[in-house]
Amino acid sequence: MGGPCELKLYGADSQSLQRAANAAMTEVKRLETKYSRYREDSLVSRINQQAGHAAVSVDAETAALLNYADTAFTQSEGLFDITSGVLRRVWDFKSGQLPNESAVADCRRLIGWQRVLWDGERCGLPDAGMEIDFGGFGKEYAADRAAAVCREQGIAYGLVELGGDIHVIGPHPDGSPWQIGLRHPRRPEEPIDRVSVSQGGLASSGDYERFMIVEGVRYCHLLNPKTGWPVTESPAQVSVLAPLCLVAGTGATVAMLKAQSSRQWLESLELPYVSIASDGRVTRAL
Amino acid sequence: MKQQNSSALLALTSAALALPGMSGKADAAAPASEPVLSYHASHYREADIERKDHLGGSRERYEIDTHQLGLAAPLSRATDIKLDLMVESMCGASPWYVQPGAGGKPVQAMSGASIKEERYDIQGRLNQFVSSDTVLSYMAGYSDEDDYEAVNIGFEFEHTIPARQLTLSAGIGYSDDELEPTQGTTPVSVLKAEKDNLTLFAGLGLVVDARTAVQTSLSVSDQQGFLSDPYKLVYIASQNNPLYADSRPDDRRQWVWLTRFRHFVPAANAAFHADYRYFDDDWDIESHTLELGWYQNIGPTWRIDTSLRWYSQTAAFFYAPYFLSQRADGYASSDYRLSPYGALGLRVKAVKKLGPWQLSAEFETYSAKAGYSLDDVDVENPGLVEFNTFTLGFDRVF
Repeated sequence: MGGPCELKLYGADSQSLQRAANAAMTEVKRLETKYSRYREDSLVSRINQQAGHAAVSVDAETAALLNYADTAFTQSEGLFDITSGVLRRVWDFKSGQLPNESAVADCRRLIGWQRVLWDGERCGLPDAGMEIDFGGFGKEYAADRAAAVCREQGIAYGLVELGGDIHVIGPHPDGSPWQIGLRHPRRPEEPIDRVSVSQGGLASSGDYERFMIVEGVRYCHLLNPKTGWPVTESPAQVSVLAPLCLVAGTGATVAMLKAQSSRQWLESLELPYVSIASDGRVTRAL
Repeated sequence: MKQQNSSALLALTSAALALPGMSGKADAAAPASEPVLSYHASHYREADIERKDHLGGSRERYEIDTHQLGLAAPLSRATDIKLDLMVESMCGASPWYVQPGAGGKPVQAMSGASIKEERYDIQGRLNQFVSSDTVLSYMAGYSDEDDYEAVNIGFEFEHTIPARQLTLSAGIGYSDDELEPTQGTTPVSVLKAEKDNLTLFAGLGLVVDARTAVQTSLSVSDQQGFLSDPYKLVYIASQNNPLYADSRPDDRRQWVWLTRFRHFVPAANAAFHADYRYFDDDWDIESHTLELGWYQNIGPTWRIDTSLRWYSQTAAFFYAPYFLSQRADGYASSDYRLSPYGALGLRVKAVKKLGPWQLSAEFETYSAKAGYSLDDVDVENPGLVEFNTFTLGFDRVF
């Protein structure tokens, strides 16, 4: 998992805490092995290797994740698309150079969840070169799973954080909520706001994670799958609270991709959120 | 907390909760992924019949010890199987007949205390997951005791329309029962008899929002054959020898309408359950059951369920505590189960999760009285039952 991972757990004794922590870490490693696109033996890699050839049968967990991705695609009107990862081939944010238009257009032809064969059991990519990846929601799901594993081990108070995606298992033992700081999108070392969470997921999406500035214009890593270009005029950062980190993460990611209509999307979700504009203005709906 | 009406949120949450292990309930139809073994032992004890209502025989009523062993396991990617084995041993006396006592007030004659009887029951169910939305289930069972043998078979169909959060189900069940009443402490009215039962049902389940679900179903059953109780008698005052065999029509049609409501209250980390059941048959029995429950989670591993049940029924058309003269149609029964009455039940259950184990302890107390009935009851049947049940059990996931 990219980014720092943290478990903060309260328990009766160090032995049970260690057992819960080990179980949670094992679960996160299991998911990383299963879904990482960097690992050739992962299920995702197998589906990608068969692009243009064959559909691959998947297990119940993967089927449920693909169904989730399908739902997110529909609900976001195509902005949340697990086939959009191929745009990484043309967008190199370290280079400081924009890709040429025709390369982006070629790449866009390989995007489109609606073209993927998905019948609930088998997943097949119609064209060679197409790819799916679970990067858009895998970490959030892993946070939920790690929290579930801790609960199964009897942990009632604590939180799981995987690279900024958080699942709060339960409040501090005295019942007080966790105070979670939100980073300033332009000065990452500074907190800009704080939210109180007793239980559930908190996920953030921002334009600061990877970006480049070319001729005074900021291009961030959040790419619109329909245009192949980074979103502009989006908030600098959106954080969403939901019972599950998975749902919070999708809410935040889609809010960023919705750009100017980010606010409408967030209001339509009816979930608590904090949105930070690029000038640092904070909108809180908690 | 805001009102949650967002369709996008509902769609995403439902899809997320369909992930294995994300919620207690299975939103998507999927076979059991791990074998589960369960065992429950319970002790059921009816209160002794009150001295003022008692005419003769034993005052000690039924006591039943039950052992239930269940196994649910996947058979293949698209099928799972459930097996339930039950052994019951019962002893005690049962209501035999009712006759007028002082001032015409009915009093209960009990059978003598019976010897210990045992009942064995095995039920199997095979679920076939035709797709992630459709499940076909095949059931079969066999039940055996000293004086009774029954076989049953059934078929169920369940289809979910995820976009509409709707589950449709329908089923059919058939059972064939053979009775060979044993001559013992009480004489019996037949030596061998048969009955069968055919049930059809249709149901609808709806997920209203991420926290609320409703289910409703309608079923109709047709029973045919010997539906009387071979161990019971009726008292007909005008006759020289006033005791006659319990005699009921040899067919019965029953309708049941059941509605269940479930709502999760996040602020309390608890769920509210409300169930209503309406029953009507062509013996003129109409009944209402209302059950309200509060399922309280305490931390991630404890749960306390409390539920209160109220019941009320009208009498069968051929029921009377005792009869002054014979009915023209020849039917007669004084069985308290066909009498007009009401009942209150309270159930408290504690559930503790411990790794792969789930332990539970449950206590239920139940009392039937004419006074609990919706309608005024002139004469209470002296055989109405009161009982307590205590159950201990575990489930183990492998």
